[in-house]
Amino acid sequence: MSPACRPGTAAAASLVVAATVWLALRGLARVPAAGAAPDRGAPLVGPRVRAWYRGVLAPLEDALVGARVPPDALTWAQLAVSVLAGAAFWAGWLFVGGWLTIVAGTLDILDGGVARRTGAASMRGALVDSLVDRYAEFVTFVGVGAFFRDSWLLLAVAVACFASFMVSYTRARAEGLGVDLQLGSAQRPERYLILGCGAWLSDLAVHLTCGMVGHVVFAAAVLSLAALAAWTALERARHAARVLGRSGP
Amino acid sequence: MTAGVWRPFGFFLLMLGFGLRLDSEWQGVAGALLVGGAVAAGAGLWALRREAPGGAFVPPVRRR
Repeated sequence: MSPACRPGTAAAASLVVAATVWLALRGLARVPAAGAAPDRGAPLVGPRVRAWYRGVLAPLEDALVGARVPPDALTWAQLAVSVLAGAAFWAGWLFVGGWLTIVAGTLDILDGGVARRTGAASMRGALVDSLVDRYAEFVTFVGVGAFFRDSWLLLAVAVACFASFMVSYTRARAEGLGVDLQLGSAQRPERYLILGCGAWLSDLAVHLTCGMVGHVVFAAAVLSLAALAAWTALERARHAARVLGRSGP
Repeated sequence: MTAGVWRPFGFFLLMLGFGLRLDSEWQGVAGALLVGGAVAAGAGLWALRREAPGGAFVPPVRRR
């Protein structure tokens, strides 16, 4: 899949990423910690990290609002980037695919923020956003599935894809029945992070070791994603059933 | 564009460049992306000294 083993490029990329992570951790340390301890259904990415990332994206959001970019354009851009990510995974370009997945997740955050800031938030926008999110997730998983087409891990990709959809479907169905459902350890940002970071870390490991380790990191990421998404869907279903059971027939 | 936009944009170009250099045969495109990314990220980090002395990836104080 890779034309050559490139440990030098991988080492340079690792240095850039390490420097960025160091700067990011310094920034994170300045964000005040949330008061309450995380409960059982809390997402893996806590409120402090979410607040920090939103803060980091603030200048970008300001620029988009200033340039009057419609939030719908960001939603469609998310789909386009996800298609590219899927194509990159399909071609075996895991480093590119991983970062494009993270960019797609970032666009998913930005479209909502821009919609609220510009007063363009609407029920139609929320519907389009939710639908595009599902297509975006699906095309990414198609690419990951194609990457693992000759491996038993294809099954794990199918489970991860189905479970991710069930996480969203369970929430949508429960909210349709009047149950507010925000809990779950592997929500969309977590899923983007696990898949994205797993992919580029895996590619770096392969190039740094000249293929001595296969794509074990990516395989572990896909397996973790399948397990966590399935657990989250189950967690949500149990919670919704309990609340609906209490509220009578 | 502000430093807060140039930095992530440059970082993204760098990552694309590294990715293409690692896995593709598009070495020319990869080189161009790496140079462009380094210039953009460098400009963002340089401008940071004037705009926000707190540091890179430190959330700015929101105006709203």
